Amino acid sequence: MALAIGIILGCCALGAGICMGIGAIGPGIGEGSAVAKACEAIGRQPESKGSVTSTMIMGCAIAETTGIYSLVVAILLIFVAPNIFVNILKSAM
Amino acid sequence: MGKNGFDFVKIDKTVIKETKYIASFVIVFSVLMQAVFLIIGKWHYTVLLGNLWGAAVAVGNFFVMGLYVQKAVSQEEDDAKKTIKASQSMRFAALVLLTGIGVVIPFFNWITVVVPLVFPSIAIYLRPLIDKNK
Repeated sequence: MALAIGIILGCCALGAGICMGIGAIGPGIGEGSAVAKACEAIGRQPESKGSVTSTMIMGCAIAETTGIYSLVVAILLIFVAPNIFVNILKSAM
Repeated sequence: MGKNGFDFVKIDKTVIKETKYIASFVIVFSVLMQAVFLIIGKWHYTVLLGNLWGAAVAVGNFFVMGLYVQKAVSQEEDDAKKTIKASQSMRFAALVLLTGIGVVIPFFNWITVVVPLVFPSIAIYLRPLIDKNK
């Protein structure tokens, strides 16, 4: 029983770590390249700075959505899932 | 802060405008969420506190991101990339910490701490519909 609970907790922690690690890579790369292109655009047309900044902020927020989803999943895996899995295990035994 | 940190003495009008837009949507969605909790009979003061915490984290994250974008667009391409990547890492670490605190502390309902984090994204997805009506 103790071993099974240990495995559940370990797997939940490992899953949360992998989730956060992989989930944070995409937004970082996406936001970086988007802002780099925005700088290029502003360099070409400096008068469009306001609209490019506005679009960039919205674009970055959208790019970050996947990261926030992974954060939510990781939090569920750390704080919520272990109790549920352990209760299922206890009721099965 | 110093020259290499926040040089946001003057906050861009665009950042303020977009943050106000997101904050107003987060407030509307938060009220809706409170109403849902009231209707299903699960309302407790922890629901309200958790919602306030989550909403503040979500809007704060958006505002700081706006500040970094403001800083990045005035830089060279490579520097801008680095600035945004660094800001993303820091903001993510802060999000994990603040959301973790919100989930662990018993004064906050964890569902209402986590759910407002996605409100800014929903607000942005709804934006074309609102702009269309104007």
